[in-house]
Amino acid sequence: MPGHGTTIDGAFQSGTSARSRLGRWFRAHQFEIWLTLPLVAYVLALTVTPIINTFRLSLTDPQQGGLTLDNYGRIFEGAVFRSAVVNTVIVAAMSLILELGLGLIIALTLHAAFRGRGFVRTITLVPLGVPTIVAGAVMLLIFARAGYLNSIIFLIQDLVNLLPGVDWQYQPISLTVAGGIPTLFTVAIADTWKVLPIVVLIFLAGLQSIPEDIYEAADMDGATKWQRFTRVTFPLLIPYMTMAIILRAIDAFRIYELALVLAGGVEPVLGTYIFDRYLPPTSDEYTAASASIVLFAIIMIFVILYLRFVAPRGRSGG
Amino acid sequence: MSASHTRQRRDRLDPVLKVAFPVWVVATVVIVLFPIYLIFLVSFAPGSALFGDRPPLVITDFTLQWWDRVLEGGELIPPLVKSLTVATVTTALAILIAAPAAYVISRLRPAVAYTIVLALLVTRMFPEFTIGISVATWFASFGLIDTYVGLVLAHLIGSLPFIAWILVGTFETVPRDLEEAAQIDGASRLGTLIRVVFPLAAPGIAVASLFVWLYSWNEFLYARLLTTNQNTLPLQVFQAIDRGTLQQMATVAAVLTLPILLVVYFLQRYLRPGALTGAVKG
Repeated sequence: MPGHGTTIDGAFQSGTSARSRLGRWFRAHQFEIWLTLPLVAYVLALTVTPIINTFRLSLTDPQQGGLTLDNYGRIFEGAVFRSAVVNTVIVAAMSLILELGLGLIIALTLHAAFRGRGFVRTITLVPLGVPTIVAGAVMLLIFARAGYLNSIIFLIQDLVNLLPGVDWQYQPISLTVAGGIPTLFTVAIADTWKVLPIVVLIFLAGLQSIPEDIYEAADMDGATKWQRFTRVTFPLLIPYMTMAIILRAIDAFRIYELALVLAGGVEPVLGTYIFDRYLPPTSDEYTAASASIVLFAIIMIFVILYLRFVAPRGRSGG
Repeated sequence: MSASHTRQRRDRLDPVLKVAFPVWVVATVVIVLFPIYLIFLVSFAPGSALFGDRPPLVITDFTLQWWDRVLEGGELIPPLVKSLTVATVTTALAILIAAPAAYVISRLRPAVAYTIVLALLVTRMFPEFTIGISVATWFASFGLIDTYVGLVLAHLIGSLPFIAWILVGTFETVPRDLEEAAQIDGASRLGTLIRVVFPLAAPGIAVASLFVWLYSWNEFLYARLLTTNQNTLPLQVFQAIDRGTLQQMATVAAVLTLPILLVVYFLQRYLRPGALTGAVKG
């Protein structure tokens, strides 16, 4: 394979015109160009162009076709859109907290040596393969009124009532139609169950990257287990935590299937809102495009704020 | 007295951990498996089992009627065929398009390769909705709604950046000396690629293919945008949620989940913690 540096330098030295220099570069790299062309063409045609087109749609006047901000104005006026934005942020925040907290604890568990660790590790990876829509379906079985969560609480009620002098009558609840935070919470639980394996794998990678001699040094100084965690493990995990937060946040804000199944009739999120605008009977791709740009903006703002303010502070603090 | 011995004697966390740790491990396993147990439980439950406030956690009177009905009712086979075909064709095309490009990227200077991979991954930051709205509008005007072609094209959008990212990491592990040796022996560059590089990268390509296949098999969002009546399996699950019985829903969900559990079981030894982060550092 010819080195890129030499070819380009050679072309400069010969002092030929820019056009023939470009031609020579193309001839020298013909093989590479042909191999990369399909991927580049595909990404340009069916990823970059649609993104630009959706931006354009969001700024297009549906009647006259001129540039306008009316589509954004129209959606921001709607109460459904505003509650969709709020709900999206609430669900994402709850999911992130649950996923990072539990993910860290499970990763620490799997990093410790115990009998049957391989088996437990395999089990914790299983939800990775369960389709998201199935995760939604099964959480519906759990959280609905005639659901298994109520069944389990009734079982606990019966056990508690065996104690003398206790008489607890449990009133069954239906989280999926309750609305508000309880319904959004079921979405966050479903998301957590589904993606925990990814978060655990990221934290495990972090734990394995910490050299053993740091712990030995900490032991020499008489550190307790808790000190080992707060002074050694946690600070060294911060880069991995940043990676997990960014990766998860990008997906958490655009939650769709789980919200559709578990909260569809009660609480909108941006994902379900965009679909309701786009699909019949509304069939309005202009406001759907605007809402999808708002969703993208929320993701970008979160990532930028996180990388700008939270991540560096964590690093210097540790 | 060893350092670790002193530490153990002083540590007040030890007795707590001794009791809590096994309980925690068992609880984790039970909570992770419970939803999967439920899918299969409900798919075998008789119609009367799911009424009232307290659905039973174990059932004694199994019934195969839901499986019979779903398998014979003709509501499963067409979606199954569509999901299988689309996932398989998407995987084949994704490898065909991404593997050669990933090879070239892996042979660039590390800084350049890193920038290109990062640019590919940045496209993933855009919500699928942002891409999907335009794609669905175009496909509707080309008559690609409800077609296999349309869905394959859409699933490639989500797969290509991901598979290119994984494969760049794979090709980086193939030594360049072997390529040079093959070329000294008179092989063409394309011949070297096909006969030397790709076979050495085959295990990585296989794993990447499985990920793409899984993605397409599970994909819901593009499928919903591009379908009016020819459902894929995930859409069929949603239809059962929307207007079927809970048992029908559970049965279709079980059909969708079964092959996945097998694939993940096979994949799990490749799901080493380093696999996710290695390529980022590369």
